[in-house]
Amino acid sequence: MNRITLRLGAPIAAAAMALAGVGTAQAASGSVARASKPTYTIAYEGPLSGGNAQLGLNMKFAVQLAINQANSGTTFKKLPFKLKFLAEDDQGSATQSPAAAQAVINNSSVVAVVGPAFSGATKAAEPLYHAANLPTVSPSATAPALATQGWNNFFRVVADDNAQGPGDATYVVKKLGAKKIYTVDDASAYAVGLVQAFAKKAQQLGATVTHQEAPGTTQCQAGTGNVQQYGALATEIKSSGAPVTFYAGYYCDFALLAKALRADGYNGRLMSDDGSLDPHYVSEAGASVANGTLLSCACTNLGSSKTDTTFSSQFKKLAGFAVGTYSAEAYDATNTIIKAMAKVGSNVKRSALVTALHKVVYTGLTKTVHFQPNGNIAGSTVYLYQVKNGSIVELGPVSKLVG
Amino acid sequence: MCFTQNFWNLVVSGLADGFLYALIAIGYTLVYGVLQLINFAHSEVFMSGGFASYFILNAAIGTSQPHGIGSLAFLALGTVGGGLGGALVAFLLERVAYRPLRRRNAPRLAFLISAIGASYFIYNIAGKEFGRNALEIPSPFTNGPVFSIFGATVQTYYVVIAVSAVIMLVLVDRVVAMTRLGKGIRAVAQDAETASLMGVNIDRVISQTFIIGGILGGAAGFLFGLNAGVVYTMGFTPALKAFTAAVLGGIGNIRGAMIGGLLLGIVENLGVACTQASWRDVVAFGILVLVLLVRPTGILGEQLGRAA
Repeated sequence: MNRITLRLGAPIAAAAMALAGVGTAQAASGSVARASKPTYTIAYEGPLSGGNAQLGLNMKFAVQLAINQANSGTTFKKLPFKLKFLAEDDQGSATQSPAAAQAVINNSSVVAVVGPAFSGATKAAEPLYHAANLPTVSPSATAPALATQGWNNFFRVVADDNAQGPGDATYVVKKLGAKKIYTVDDASAYAVGLVQAFAKKAQQLGATVTHQEAPGTTQCQAGTGNVQQYGALATEIKSSGAPVTFYAGYYCDFALLAKALRADGYNGRLMSDDGSLDPHYVSEAGASVANGTLLSCACTNLGSSKTDTTFSSQFKKLAGFAVGTYSAEAYDATNTIIKAMAKVGSNVKRSALVTALHKVVYTGLTKTVHFQPNGNIAGSTVYLYQVKNGSIVELGPVSKLVG
Repeated sequence: MCFTQNFWNLVVSGLADGFLYALIAIGYTLVYGVLQLINFAHSEVFMSGGFASYFILNAAIGTSQPHGIGSLAFLALGTVGGGLGGALVAFLLERVAYRPLRRRNAPRLAFLISAIGASYFIYNIAGKEFGRNALEIPSPFTNGPVFSIFGATVQTYYVVIAVSAVIMLVLVDRVVAMTRLGKGIRAVAQDAETASLMGVNIDRVISQTFIIGGILGGAAGFLFGLNAGVVYTMGFTPALKAFTAAVLGGIGNIRGAMIGGLLLGIVENLGVACTQASWRDVVAFGILVLVLLVRPTGILGEQLGRAA
């Protein structure tokens, strides 16, 4: 219910503010700014409903928090503009994403987008954003192909799956010593790319890889697949004798596969990716099934520095739940945009902001954000996580773990 | 050989899937028998059963883990709760979406649209009210292998499905074959007009037919949700498969729906042994088309249009 009210609430609030006039809106926010300050909107596109909504909500509130803080002057001093927030729901789906993108583009006060959140959705929406010259900074779209399309407005603050897949494979082969690996993907753009990068590296390191594609299920609103497919798949995996199963996809379907495997008596190690790095994986699979599962991400847990804990506590106050996967990345992405806008000055145009983002250097919670010419983040570290006693704990960067 | 390697394992998981399909398929086939109507909102009857059992069980035991005899009571309560939820929704569905059309002698197409409309209505309401993430029914048992048969491991969950399904399938078969209600159902299916001349209350029989289908569909919703969780989109694929099973077995024929369900489950599972999991539906529906080419009435269907 909450997220629906929010979804409807954002545009209504925006319209109300427009009606009330810029001056009133600023007075309401308690700022001393003059009425001549222009107002720009930073939009967020990601799943706010659907089976993988949690990942999207983790990011949405982080974007909102960054914007609130910029407006109140806590993170940036003396910005020559005011900021507004707009959230568009694409359910993480490639079919719904173009419509969400179009709604964002048609809003002329939008100068930048945080998102789209998922790779498939990004692939479908980015041609529209590119045509509109609207810069997008994704906190989480990791498919490698996204950076090779010549979209100069595309940026992301996470390393792509060409870092994550090989990092995971290195850990599985070198650290766990697996000679046979079973890989499964959910047929999404993200998972297919990831699993290929994983398999290539694993084979280079001398392991044999058996692969199956199991489409995301209607149960998880992630595709056309049927929950019943996992029973037979578990049988195949168990009889292959592979000591490690790597799943590329999202938490909802991974939980179903994990349950099927354990029910069938499979004792091998389970591993998945950043799409599964969510406490919902543990709650949906059950702790007894999920314990021991390895998860990876080119993102890191927040540390205990003062800035990190301040962010965590303010996020919780705004969102009503604790920071999750990609919250910090979304926060960094938004602040990177705001910093680039500040460089442009008080008259922010979409195209000028694209140019500014190519040059910006911003030190955020997770890393120093600086983009390569193709929009990828400079530098990449893959972190491993493991489910222990029903909660997800960080093991550290793969490079250190393998040693 | 891909086919023989995990043969018995795949047959066992296929049977488990098949029992679920069979339970749902009965709903399609019974309604088709008395109304010559495909109740496309039956997927939502299935879903409602899942949700009903979730809420009833939560109210009854909260989050505590049942053990031993408690587990059996848990399963029985869930099945009954799911059945009641399914029956209630099926009953309302007939009253609201079909009976007014029947009174006005609406064309067949109107029933179809009404069914699809009702289905969208119910599952969207469920999505809004109960959220978009799956709700987990606490498991009353630790799922894992319990015994082997021909080298195939049988897990607890499969045993639960098989036992509950066999009880319900036998019961429904006996009810239709032996009771007064069953006689009414068969009479209306054979010739509704003559049945009403002989004193059968057609409206009542149709209502009761929906309720029986709803009980089985709702109970199946519980059994399905026990493993996968309940969520508003849970009905879509299982119900489509069950409809396929009903056609495969001969729509309108109760034992046909049972055989069709079991067969479809097994074929689907064996099909993926030689291909990828993503070929599952291609294999299943390919075989359906082949069977229908040879026997357009389905395996046990005697004639198109009327049967019971």
